[in-house]
Amino acid sequence: MKHLLTLAAVLAAGALTAPNQTSAQAVSCPVKIGGILPMTGSMAPITKKIAEAAQLALDHINQGGGIKGCPVELVLRDDQGQPTVGVDAAKYLVEVERVPAITGTISSGVTGPIISSITGPSKIVQISCCSTASAFTLDGRSGGYFFRTLPTSKTQAFATASEIARRGLKKTAIIYVNTDFGVDMTRFIKEALPKLGGEFVVEVPYTDNQPSYRAEVTKALAAKPESLMLVGFPKDAVTIVREWLSLGGSPKIALNNSMRVMDFVNGVGPKFLNESFGMDNAQVAGATVDAFNKAFAEKYKYDSNGPGVHTQYDALMVLGLAMNIAKDLTGPSIKDAVRQVHAAGGAQVGTGPDEFKKAVALIKEGKPIKYFGATGPIEFDANGDVTGPALVWKIADGQIVTDRVISIEEMQALFKKVE
Amino acid sequence: MLAQSLADGILTGAIIALGAIGVSLGLQILRFANFAHAELVTWGGYLALVFVTFAGPGTPTGPFSFGWQLIAAMLLAAVLTGGLAWLVDRLVFSRLRRSGAQPLSMVFASFGAALVMRHVVVLIWGSGSYFYTSELQIALEVLPGVRMLPDQLFILGLTLLVVTGLHLYLTHSRTGMAMRAMAESPALARVCGIEVEAVVRWTWILSGALAAMAGVFMGLSPQIHPEMGLSLMLALFAAAILGGVGSLVGAVVGGLLVGLAENLSVLFVDPGYKTAMPFLLLLLVLAVRPQGLFGDKA
Repeated sequence: MKHLLTLAAVLAAGALTAPNQTSAQAVSCPVKIGGILPMTGSMAPITKKIAEAAQLALDHINQGGGIKGCPVELVLRDDQGQPTVGVDAAKYLVEVERVPAITGTISSGVTGPIISSITGPSKIVQISCCSTASAFTLDGRSGGYFFRTLPTSKTQAFATASEIARRGLKKTAIIYVNTDFGVDMTRFIKEALPKLGGEFVVEVPYTDNQPSYRAEVTKALAAKPESLMLVGFPKDAVTIVREWLSLGGSPKIALNNSMRVMDFVNGVGPKFLNESFGMDNAQVAGATVDAFNKAFAEKYKYDSNGPGVHTQYDALMVLGLAMNIAKDLTGPSIKDAVRQVHAAGGAQVGTGPDEFKKAVALIKEGKPIKYFGATGPIEFDANGDVTGPALVWKIADGQIVTDRVISIEEMQALFKKVE
Repeated sequence: MLAQSLADGILTGAIIALGAIGVSLGLQILRFANFAHAELVTWGGYLALVFVTFAGPGTPTGPFSFGWQLIAAMLLAAVLTGGLAWLVDRLVFSRLRRSGAQPLSMVFASFGAALVMRHVVVLIWGSGSYFYTSELQIALEVLPGVRMLPDQLFILGLTLLVVTGLHLYLTHSRTGMAMRAMAESPALARVCGIEVEAVVRWTWILSGALAAMAGVFMGLSPQIHPEMGLSLMLALFAAAILGGVGSLVGAVVGGLLVGLAENLSVLFVDPGYKTAMPFLLLLLVLAVRPQGLFGDKA
């Protein structure tokens, strides 16, 4: 209660004094940004590089002039991959450290509760590198305060639906794993498919880790489908695809990104997958991406490949830019500013300290900027999500090869067509 | 669709039945719920794999995707898994029996044994999947609207043969009769001069051998991985209890019912609930017949 009162007093004071002062004077140095990542626990192996990317972004922001003339400090807390610990960490950052913005975290299972119980209600901006569950930005829990720098499952779903239609596959049956991810994907594929010229005839959910999926496959086949969209994870997918083919299912099979591993291809047998294809997020090429990769390799002496590394860098850079643009360092102002980081007609700014310095100078002159990050152009849609390019892969000569890339422009056109 | 689901259910049920016989024998003769039994299924699958790796699955014979080598591998795996089951008993359960452990202690010991057995598999073979053969069979339309794989028909036939043989063995051989006597009353059996340890040994070996066959059949359709036994465990217990503990026929019928309940349920409910169906059936049966379908009144 005491905290709340103080917080209210501070906010009230801020509201009263802000109009009379320039924004730079209202800021007390150093500026703190909260960070939540699973430094320990089952995610720890991938978090190391992600945290290093965050550190690199912090260095670049500080070398590039910081936020409103102040040096920036990242207050990083460990969520251990557990919702309770993550919510505690967020509570600490917001109530004790008084951060106006947080970056984090990886697991959707932790990010969700943090949005619902801390950052949403407290109007604190949160940018995640890695949580894909589409519900976060759609169900209203975030109040618009949650953003992420990686595409949600929607991007993959729409891309898959368009490829199904492009290849002229008809009467598609969807078999999907009954998890948030599978349900999400299926929902978007079903939404997109009819609008793009495809049609789906039946959807069958499955529970993972079962010895056999004959019942599910039989149910799907009863609708006389002429192609299959399978959303799931590799091990069960091997069983499902083999049973599907055995029972007379069509070899025209669309697969999601999890199946882009040789374990799956060899499990089913490459010769049975000649007419199949899959989808995945594509890595953008570009000068700003190369600059990030180079800076990362120079600092840490190994490459930046890995999940979440590029998106985490962008998450923090976007915060750095937005907090410079924001008229004051309160959640609502920063939230609005995040949307001006990639403004139409703005001057292009990229990754690295020099580019950040350039951006800060432009912002001071009141000019719009257009940020191109470690993952390419960062443009948030109405929900706070980004769209990324996708790639279509297929199996040729027993290997997984890229068939074609769906560029970000094509992707945006696709979104317009469906929504 | 209905006919196909029936066929699928019977096939799934046959594999479950083979595993459930061991669970049922264990519950009746060894008098505790052996959760490590499902791991014997996994071990059976992997032991056959070792032989197949050396000998190859054989050239596909007739309509089947494998040759005599796989049958030989299965028999070898059955013998070895039987031995393994007995070894686990020597190392873990017989010591507990001698110290007069409560059934609950045995159950927890079986959880421990299951964990160790599963992770030894991961240690030796890794956590990835293996296949006996990279061939893929295309199902034959055996009846209008019913498609089955030749391999599955083979599995069904062999299961029937094994179960019949086992039934004759239990009813006519001396060991079989001793086992049934033990199941009725261990104290009386001992008084009659039955060597208890020998019966226990045979129970383990038989359960292990049957579990190994279930493992090989599971591996045929289509993969072998460290959690294959675990994924079957609840179904095995449901089948054994549904059929009535200690009854061979019960275990087989229980297995078939579990398979049918899973496969037929998708006609009426969301397949996401498929795995819950056998337990719904179990609750219904136990409400009417607490001793199970073929169990004797206790």
